Amino acid sequence: MSIAPPFDPELSAALSVIGEQLPPALTPEMIPLMRGGGEVLPAISDDELRRDGRFTVEERSVPGLDGDPDISLLICRPTAPTGTLGCVYHTHGGGMIIGDNRLGVTEMLDYAERFSLVVVSVEYRLAPETPHPGPVNDCYAGLLWTAAHAGELGFDPGRLVVAGASAGGGLAAAITLMARDLGGPALLGQLLICPMLDDRNESPSAVQMAGRGIWDRTANATGWGALLGAAAGGPDVSPYAAPARATDLSNLPPAFIDVGSAETFRDEDVTYASRIWQAGGRAELHVWPGGFHGFDGMAPAAALSQDARQARVRWLDRLLNA
Amino acid sequence: MKDLAVRLAALDAQAGAAVQVIAYFDGLAEAGAGLQSIVRGAAVLAGCPARLDDTTRRVHIRMLPDGAAEAAPDRAGDRWPCLDAGTAVLALERDGEAGPVDAMILERAAGAARAVLDRTRGRAPATDEPALVELLVDATAPAEARLRAARLLGLAPDGTARVSVGHTGVIRISAVAADPLPGRCGVGPAVAIPDLPVSFEAARIALRFTADGTDDDPGDPVVRHDDLGALAVLAAVAEPGSVPDVRALDHATVPWLLATLHAVTTTTSLRAAAAKLRLHHSTLQDRVTQAEHLLGWSLHEPHGLLRTQLALALRRLQRNS
Repeated sequence: MSIAPPFDPELSAALSVIGEQLPPALTPEMIPLMRGGGEVLPAISDDELRRDGRFTVEERSVPGLDGDPDISLLICRPTAPTGTLGCVYHTHGGGMIIGDNRLGVTEMLDYAERFSLVVVSVEYRLAPETPHPGPVNDCYAGLLWTAAHAGELGFDPGRLVVAGASAGGGLAAAITLMARDLGGPALLGQLLICPMLDDRNESPSAVQMAGRGIWDRTANATGWGALLGAAAGGPDVSPYAAPARATDLSNLPPAFIDVGSAETFRDEDVTYASRIWQAGGRAELHVWPGGFHGFDGMAPAAALSQDARQARVRWLDRLLNA
Repeated sequence: MKDLAVRLAALDAQAGAAVQVIAYFDGLAEAGAGLQSIVRGAAVLAGCPARLDDTTRRVHIRMLPDGAAEAAPDRAGDRWPCLDAGTAVLALERDGEAGPVDAMILERAAGAARAVLDRTRGRAPATDEPALVELLVDATAPAEARLRAARLLGLAPDGTARVSVGHTGVIRISAVAADPLPGRCGVGPAVAIPDLPVSFEAARIALRFTADGTDDDPGDPVVRHDDLGALAVLAAVAEPGSVPDVRALDHATVPWLLATLHAVTTTTSLRAAAAKLRLHHSTLQDRVTQAEHLLGWSLHEPHGLLRTQLALALRRLQRNS
């Protein structure tokens, strides 16, 4: 067994409590269990989203891509915005296999309040019931609709940012590549929070974190296997499924990438940022020492979590206000 | 950890919540977490601000339930649940009803904090290092030397402290509220560090007003100069024992006189005085009548009671001169 970086002390303590409910390794048989009930992922009510009337909340049904079924967008609009509105288009996390379009929206609403943003969060179909390219196509269709309806939603199309955490970070990176390649909307930035980018699942961090923390190598194989089936890790995986597979990372909007040093995704996320720089692009990379996967969401009060959240806020501030 | 707190609050079985509190603080200890993390954990899990104060080591940490550090306002809330962590005190700023696992949080967090303090901050500096203390209360010592002594004793040079003087001559300087010494003790007012000689003189005066609390020497063993008020000027009396009223006390031959006078002058009714002395009130009534005869003044009139109080105070000053 290889030596792994230690967890941050506070995160380690939080993990000793969380670990009881969320083991590191998830296997395909556990997917229904993970989806069931609000125990693992607490439900977020409309009232919570409205934040005492500071946002209006609606679910909007919009067309899928190329004849795919309609998809649902959760749209939260500030009721008393200041200045020009922007938009954060959000793709939720959950390893491609769990979650809904409310997961992670709380953090987006924090940014929306601070920077006057409309939040649009897409309800994409999940694997394994819907394998690639269904999920990413749903995300891209929602992005197209959102950009085309900027006027109706009241935001400046030049202030459109995509954002997501974990699998949602991978999907946000993927639709950014699609928008570039397919003549889609111009994006102001991509906020990739501990993104899930590489189906090959064999980096040193994936190996050394096996059995430890949150979303270990086994869980990662479960997620990618659900999305890609037998193709996972093989030669013919689309960059729109796994953005790490992209051979060209030039001409992308500025990226923010963060990740913990003690998680499966560390090396693939660091590599993605490096390759953006090597391609002449703009990226900001934060590797938080001793962070496990999704640490700031699960232990938001921890010192490292506060720092990680603040780093995202400072990046958004430079992106939107500089 | 917000989620964690929600889960803890939602748990029906308090035993389950307690187990998670234990797991959390054990996890912090195993990972070698510092004091901030421990106090933050207490605040997050309790859902109210938490603070750790160690005046001796000059450690003051205060965390809000969202995990943010915030400077401590003036200490308040004497009814906050708190627990000693060695020389420090860990408190939850809980004014309302106690949370279901407050006691468990305090116990675990205080234990973890004590271990960290002992490991990282060394032994608490002894506040009664005699030479340094004597320097601090010596008005003739250079100000620089006194400030240096304050720092060596772990006192903030810009903070306040008070001097306590015990009947054996031991001097203690404390930055927290009263820190009485065993036995009879006078306590000076809280003052700025450069003014400690003033607090020392006041403590010595207060010490002269103390009593053993026996029948022969009734009164309070611990006296704060702050509480003396105008009585303090009596300390300037050159020979208190020569005052006629004091002689009257000393010349009385009944063994119960002093205790009776003390009880009568420190309660608001004869019935209360009788209860304090564990006497039937008619017995006390008889003694009071006899005492009035011996002394030659009334113990029923305010003036007579004032005379008695002054005489008792002057007698203590004589004994403690």
